[in-house]
Parts: sequence; C-alpha cells; structure tokens
Amino acid sequence: MLEHFFNPSSIAVVGASQNPGKIGYDILNNIVRYGFEGAVYPINPKAEEILGRQAFPDLVSVPSQIDLAIVALPSPAVTEVIEQCGKKKVDSVVIITAGFKEIGPEGGRLEEALAVRARELGLRVIGPNCLGIIDTASALNASFAAGMPLDGHIGFFSQSGAMCVAILDWALGENVGFSRFVSLGNKMDISETQIMLSMEHDENTRVILGYLESIEDGPLFMKAARQVSKNKPIIIIKSGTTSAGAKAASSHTGALAGSEHAYSAAFKQSGIIRAESMQSLFRYAVAFASQPLPNGPSLGIITNSGGPGILAADACEKSSLHLSPIRKETADELRSFLPPTASVYNPVDIIGDASAERYDRTLEVILRDPAIHAVLILLAPTAAQDPDAVARGIVRLAKDSDKPVMTAFMGEKKVKGARKILQDHAIPSYEYPEDAIAALDAMLCYRRAQEEPERRYQHFEADSGRVRQIFSSVIGQHRHDLIEKEAREVLKAYGFRLPENRIARTTKEAVEAASEIGYPVVMKIASPDVLHKSDMGGVRVKLEDETMVEDAFFDITANIQLRQPDARILGVMVQEMIPQGKEVILGITRDIQFGPMVMFGLGGIYVEVLKDVAFRIAPLSVEEADAMIREIRAFPLLRGVRGEAPADIKGIREALLRLSQLAMDFPEIIEGDINPLLVCPEGQGAVAVDARMTIHE
Amino acid sequence: MISLYVGSTGGYSGKNLTVMGLGQRLMKDGLKVGYFKPFGRLPIKINGVLTDKDAWFIHRVLMLKDPVETLCPVVMTHDLMVASCRGECAGLEEKILEAFETVSKGKDVVLVGGAGRLESGKSMDISGYRLVERLHAKAVLVDSYEGEFYLDAVLAAHERLQERLLGVIVNRVRAGYLDKVESLIIPFLEQKGLPVLGVLPNDALLGAVMVGDVVDALAGDVLCCRNKLDGLIEHFLIGSMQVDRALEYIRKARNNAVIVGGDRADVQLAAIEASTQCLILTGNLYPNEIVISRAEVRGVPIVVVRDDTYSVAKKVEELSRKLRLREKEKVYYGIKLIEEKVDFKRLYEGLGMSP
Repeated sequence: MLEHFFNPSSIAVVGASQNPGKIGYDILNNIVRYGFEGAVYPINPKAEEILGRQAFPDLVSVPSQIDLAIVALPSPAVTEVIEQCGKKKVDSVVIITAGFKEIGPEGGRLEEALAVRARELGLRVIGPNCLGIIDTASALNASFAAGMPLDGHIGFFSQSGAMCVAILDWALGENVGFSRFVSLGNKMDISETQIMLSMEHDENTRVILGYLESIEDGPLFMKAARQVSKNKPIIIIKSGTTSAGAKAASSHTGALAGSEHAYSAAFKQSGIIRAESMQSLFRYAVAFASQPLPNGPSLGIITNSGGPGILAADACEKSSLHLSPIRKETADELRSFLPPTASVYNPVDIIGDASAERYDRTLEVILRDPAIHAVLILLAPTAAQDPDAVARGIVRLAKDSDKPVMTAFMGEKKVKGARKILQDHAIPSYEYPEDAIAALDAMLCYRRAQEEPERRYQHFEADSGRVRQIFSSVIGQHRHDLIEKEAREVLKAYGFRLPENRIARTTKEAVEAASEIGYPVVMKIASPDVLHKSDMGGVRVKLEDETMVEDAFFDITANIQLRQPDARILGVMVQEMIPQGKEVILGITRDIQFGPMVMFGLGGIYVEVLKDVAFRIAPLSVEEADAMIREIRAFPLLRGVRGEAPADIKGIREALLRLSQLAMDFPEIIEGDINPLLVCPEGQGAVAVDARMTIHE
Repeated sequence: MISLYVGSTGGYSGKNLTVMGLGQRLMKDGLKVGYFKPFGRLPIKINGVLTDKDAWFIHRVLMLKDPVETLCPVVMTHDLMVASCRGECAGLEEKILEAFETVSKGKDVVLVGGAGRLESGKSMDISGYRLVERLHAKAVLVDSYEGEFYLDAVLAAHERLQERLLGVIVNRVRAGYLDKVESLIIPFLEQKGLPVLGVLPNDALLGAVMVGDVVDALAGDVLCCRNKLDGLIEHFLIGSMQVDRALEYIRKARNNAVIVGGDRADVQLAAIEASTQCLILTGNLYPNEIVISRAEVRGVPIVVVRDDTYSVAKKVEELSRKLRLREKEKVYYGIKLIEEKVDFKRLYEGLGMSP
C-alpha cells in the first residue's frame, strides 16, 4: 500500500535547487545524503546537474520510469507538474509547496482544482503544505527536516510539520528509532486514514503514532482504526478539542456534547490509545515499540527504597494494573538471599545498600514467578550503587523474558549513563515510576481491547415510514423542534415503551381515560403556560379509583385557575402510573466529524451539574452500549445500593441500541433526548417519560 | 325586596370590597341583607359543595346564614367551560333564578356580586347585563380610574342599563389625579345623567399583598417563619445593588419585601436587619444556614423561588394589580373607606328606600 511513496525505486525532485538553504536543495540533499539507493532525478530547467546527479528540465524528459515525485515549486507551478505526472505515469506525488488551503479562499480553490485533476489522472498525493516523508527501512528522507531518525519500529504521522521536526530532533536526542515519518499537510488526497492503513502493512512499523488536529472522514477513520488497532497499537494525540459548538445546542445533550466527547468516544470505540500530552505520546510509544504486551494485570515492583515503591503502588491503584501478592515459593526464595530488613512482598524492597548483584538475583526470581505479568524496577541512586551495572543486569535478564520490563531510575547525574544503557537496549527508562505505570497501563488496556469479542449489532423492527411522515410534516410547517406528541410518536415507532397517556378535557373524560389506561394513574395539568406543574398544584399521583380521579380533575384545574389565572388550560393529562424506577438520560447529537453520537448519563435535575455522562459514536454495538452504562460514575447506583433491587440494565441497553438505530436511520435528527428514561427494577424494562427532538432539513 | 347588582366594566376593580362595604353599612342601618354571586370563577369545595372562593369569603365577612348551596349557583369549572363550548350547559339561568329566590326570602336587600366585567358569562347566556334584567336588579358599577377610556366604558354600560344603573364608584384614584377627577370627570358624568356615588383614593395598604399570596403565586418554598405569612407587603424592592445602597432603599419603604438572588448573602442579611416583611430569593438558590437562623431570630420569612429576579418582579407587579381582598386588616380598613367615601343618601334614594 502506497508502496511507491515509502519504497520507491526512483524519485524525481521537481524544483530541485542548486542553492543550499532552499527547500528544493535540502530535500534533494536529504535524499542523497542519507543513502537512498534508487535513482534520483533533480528536475530544474536551469541546471545541468545538482549534487552530482544529472538534472532534467521537466518530468517528461526523464528517460526512465519515476515512482515518486517530490514537488517543491511555488504553488502556481504545481498544476503543470501534476499534468506532467499524468503524462509520465508517475502515480505518487508529495507536494511540499505551501500556499493552498491554509492561506485562504483563493488557495483553497487552487487546491480543490488540483485535487480534482489529480483524481482524474489517478495520482495519489501527500500534502500540499507538508514537510515530506521519511522511511528509515528504505533509507528515504524525502523531507526538508534536519537530520534522519534512527532505524526503529515507530511510525509517526502528523498534521503539523513543526511537530514533525520537533519530534525528530527529540528522537535523535533520546535514541528513539522510527520506521516512518509522514507529514500530512493539508491532506488534499491522502489523510491519516490511508497512512494508518499503510503503516499496518509496513512490517517495520510496530506502533503507529499520530498528531492530529482534525479528521477528514470520521466514520472511515474509525473503520480503518478498528481494523488496524487489532494488529498494531495506534497512539494519537488530538489537539483543538474545544466545546465552542456546544454553546449553541439547546437540549441537555447538546449542552454536554462538545466535539471533545466525540473524539474521545471515537478513539475508545476504534481501539485507539489516546495520549493527553506529547510527553505521554512518546512514553507510550517507546514502551509499545520495545516491550511485549503484558499477559495480565499483575505488576511486580522491585525497589531499593520505600518512597518510590509507595508512589508506584499509589499510581498502580489508580490504573488497571494491580500489585499482586508474591507467591510463597517466590517469597521464600527471595528471603534466602535478601537481608532480613528487606521486604519480600510486593513492592519488593531490596533496601538502600542493594548492589547490582542483588538487583539481578531479585529480578531473575520475580520474572520467573508465573503470577506476575510485568515488572517495574525502581532505583534511587544511593552511595552503594553502580547504576550502570544494575542497568546492564536488567538488559541481560529482560532480553530473554516474555514479560514487559520497565525501569524508573530516579535522579539525573548519577543515573544518566544507566538510562542510556537501558535505552540503547530497548528497555523503557522513565524518570518517575508514575510514567512507567501509565505506559504499562496503556499496554494492558490495548491488550484487553484486542481480546474483546467481535462486536455484535442488534437490529430492531421499527416503523421508519411513520417517523419519515412526522419529520416531513414538521419540516413542512417550517419548524425544527418536535412537539412532545410528535417526539413521543417517533419513539413509539422505534419500539420505546412510553407511559400510556391521554388528554382529558372533562371529569368524565378523565374517568374514561383512567379506566382505559388502568388504575392507578397519574394526572397532570396540560397547559403550555404552566412550567412547574407540581409546584402549582397541577399534579396528582397514585389515583386508584374513579372518585380519586374526579377529585383530582377538580383540584388540578381549580388550582391552576386560582394560582395562574392567565394560563391556557388544554385539559388534564391522565397517565399510566409507572412503577418506581431510577432516572437516566439518553440523548443523540450529531457531531460534524463523526456523525450521530449517543449519550447516556444519570438523569434528573443534576445532569448538567455533574456531567456524569458517557458518549459513543453510533451505530452502537451491544458491547459498546454496555460499556457506556458501566462508564458513568453513578453506575453503582443503577446496580443498587444497600439492598436496593438492581435497575433493569438490559432495558437501558436496549433503549440505547434503539436510539442508535433511530439516529443512524435519520440523519436529519440534530439532537434529541429522552429525559428521563425511567428504569424499573431488573426484568421490568424502562419507560421513556419525556422526550425532545430537533431535526433539520 | 330590592336587589342591587355590583358590577364593573373591567376585572379586578374592587367589586368584592364594595359588596362588603355596602353590605356592612346596610346591615348597620337595620336592613336584612342577603348576598349571592350568580356566576363565580374560582371553584372551591366547602364541605363537598362547589362554590366560589371569593363569594365564600364575603359570605363569612358579612356573617350570613344562608346555605352554601345557593351562594354561587354557577361556578366556572373546567368541566363547565368545556360543556359551554359544546353547547351542553342549558339551564344555568334557571339555576341562578332559583338560588336568587331562596336567598331573597325574608330579605330587604339582596346584593348580587358580579363576575369579571358586565359581559362576562355571555357565552353561557348569563352575562351581567342579562342578569340585571332577569333579576330586576338595580346596578352600581365600580371601576379603577385608569385614564379617559374609563369614561367610554361606563357610558357604554349606562347606555345599555339605562335607569337601572344607579351610579358609579370611582376606585383607586391616585393622589395626583384626585383634583382632575373631582373638577372634570365627576361633573362630566353627572351632566351625562350618571351619578357618581363615591370616589375612593388609591391606598398602599389596600394594594398590599400578603406574604402567603406571594408564596402561592410564585410557587415558593418557605424556609422559616411560617407564622409570618400573613404579613402585608406594600412595596417590592429588588436587592441587586451594592449592599449599602440596598439598605437605604429597604429602610425608606414601609412594609417591603426584598427580591434578591439566592447567592447574595450580603443583601439578604442587610434586609433581615432592616426588618423586611419577607425575603424572596430567586434562581432556586438556597441561602446558607447563618442567613436562615438570623431570619428566624428577626421573624423574617424566607421564600425561595425558581424564577429569576426579573420574572419575579413582573409576577409580583401583576399580583398587586389583580389582588383579592382576604386579610382582615385590609378588609376592615376597606369597609371603613366605603362607609366614608360613598354617598349612601344618594344610594338609598336611587334604591327608593329610606332606612
């Protein structure tokens, strides 16, 4: 995939320059200097030869086949180059040139025209406005970056060129190797999705890293990421996730759903590991690239001092890892050679005077313990120590182990050399134990995600025709908000259980309605002017017979006549009395980049304050619906506390899946929520009590 | 037996107060007085009998002994409203006439309380105009003086009621208008053949609202001093300014209530110290315990409401405009005012009586 970009046999540099300091010179120089073995053709009508290579006036004049063209000409000249690529049958082009979409509408139009033409000619394009690409395996550095990364197994793509150069420089300083570097630029044709897929097929890439500001096609990206992340970890840092758009939204869901929620949901659902900072991006990358994944959550810690051990234990507690108890056999064995003041239990504290030899023996024993899945070695530089010797011991032992081994040698001056030894031998070496644990935690999560079963999707019978009818009548009336009755009907068509209700205009009608619905019933004033119904005496519950309904009808209407004489009274709503339940909120919004998104949270009046909600991009699988329910902090409340009956979690799951189906079937729904969905005790289902929905043409 | 209809050309004009004032005076003059309200709009059940809330109140103030059943024969429940639109409410007039017959037995005068405006009830064929005719009643109109449109309305009513209309009582005349009413409006009406039986000045106490009414109207939550809900509020102040300025305002106005955000502890404490009648906290924000305990000490009820300050201010303004007389203090003051300001000699002449 995209083979000609990363492993070409011949390259043309269009706009190759003879003058050092020009981008056209730097790129050619990088290609030549870092040992690219294929043919290189500088294209420059004014030159005979550049950097010892024969130059050609244009692409067409090159006598042999060209796999990859790198374009570094000013933007107006690029169109012609694309035409020549077409004639010369060059199928892969990297456009370094800036001055397109990023400079405004004019540049945007130019880029658009270029994209159309490239598509017609069957060209694949990286850029424009990018730094170039690097592939260490084919010794290709078609970029104007300063330097060439070491060989390694990390593939990196970035929407920001500056990020690329900064990271390259950092990697050189830290001895971190890379397989590929791709600067995406304006993503005119090739975007993160194609790069991710190409890296999946690149055998030198073990870990895929990305810096993203936006995503071109959300659903496509998710689909690709899902597939790729099964084979290779994808770690992404996403910047620019503000919630400015959320302000405009009117319903609860709208108020909570910024695009940040969409990204974090999309990443979760496609198995992407999200890094919160550049620092953690690379900490994760180093761990993933160099160590095997842990087979389980048990972490063994070896330390030569108490404090760091405790810090590590704390960090462990907050992660999905845990400090497993040391088996008796292991403890006995440790006790046989450790001083009596040492702690043979996890964290294993081999105390301050620990020598390299003591570290060695301890690590060897711990690695052999089958109950331990990963090892973290901590070292605080005491006078007794030779950190370099400790590091060498770790390198030797870790080499043959199938368990991940991480280190945190704390300090700077005395441990610098040791860290370098560890890094050189692909043992992740962190400054602090928390960093090591965060990286291990990410590895464990990835491991678990890989073990997850295939997603199951459920399809429900639904009357979509009816919904279409309602929507077109709403649009026909130039409205966007559905009235309650319409929203209820939409939900009904999608199989939601709604409380039976009827508007009664008179006492007689109320009694009739109650007997049709079945006692007990709830009665509420039906008036658009009465906002706080129960405060105004407009609600009566648990009405069990005709007399109670008659009295309630009188009381409710008389109360409103008295307290709010101007209110327009439509009648009284007679409603099925729903058994006691817990209130949750379900919602849908539409994210610009990922499409419909489903929300779930604990309901009631505190929803906006607590923001205890979970989001997922639709369509939801059964597993994702379950994960959403478990994700909110209030989940234990749903399971029941202090002898309470558990709520019907399956009922919530079904409601989420039905809502997801509705959102997928009707892209015109911009937002909507069911607030509350009343969840009855286990086995009794859930009832949508109130609903709102906004659609767009 | 003579019947006297007390009506108006607009709602909330002072009909109830007038009925009570007239009733009291007629009784004092030794007449046997009856009262009924043919058509009520505030349904309430007294011992299972449907009647009107205002009528029931007047009934008790005048200490009448007639049965509740005849007090208000037609009450506008939601059921009746629907039935009237469906044309299913025949026989209402008969019910009224029947009740009137019962009430008038053994009475010298029966006061007939009008509902809303003279036109009210038209959709059920029981408008004020029609009832005056059917009950062979004389009529007195009481209305607030709210500018010159007042004249058009009462003259139109005069044209329809003719000699049945004994005269008008001009209510709520602000101090600044009193001179104009006396020198211009009264002579004009008199010259048109419409006697002016009395002029009642606008009065802050009569316009006062009970704390409990505010609680009801705003659906508020009372946090303390429930026993002080009968306090009267004459002025509402909005306490959103600096605390020292707020104090100034609060001290100036008699019987005030302070509307302030639930999060403004400074203004709340200042108002409590200045002995406001009531603290209305907006935005559904609850005050801290210190404020509540201080209010308890000073006997100031605190009411927490959901609305924002603006909406509350709008609602309470409406409230004092559409006030219903309920509080003893106000009722007796009002009755005294009627006694003083209404020309009873002329009224008796019109009724053809001489007590």
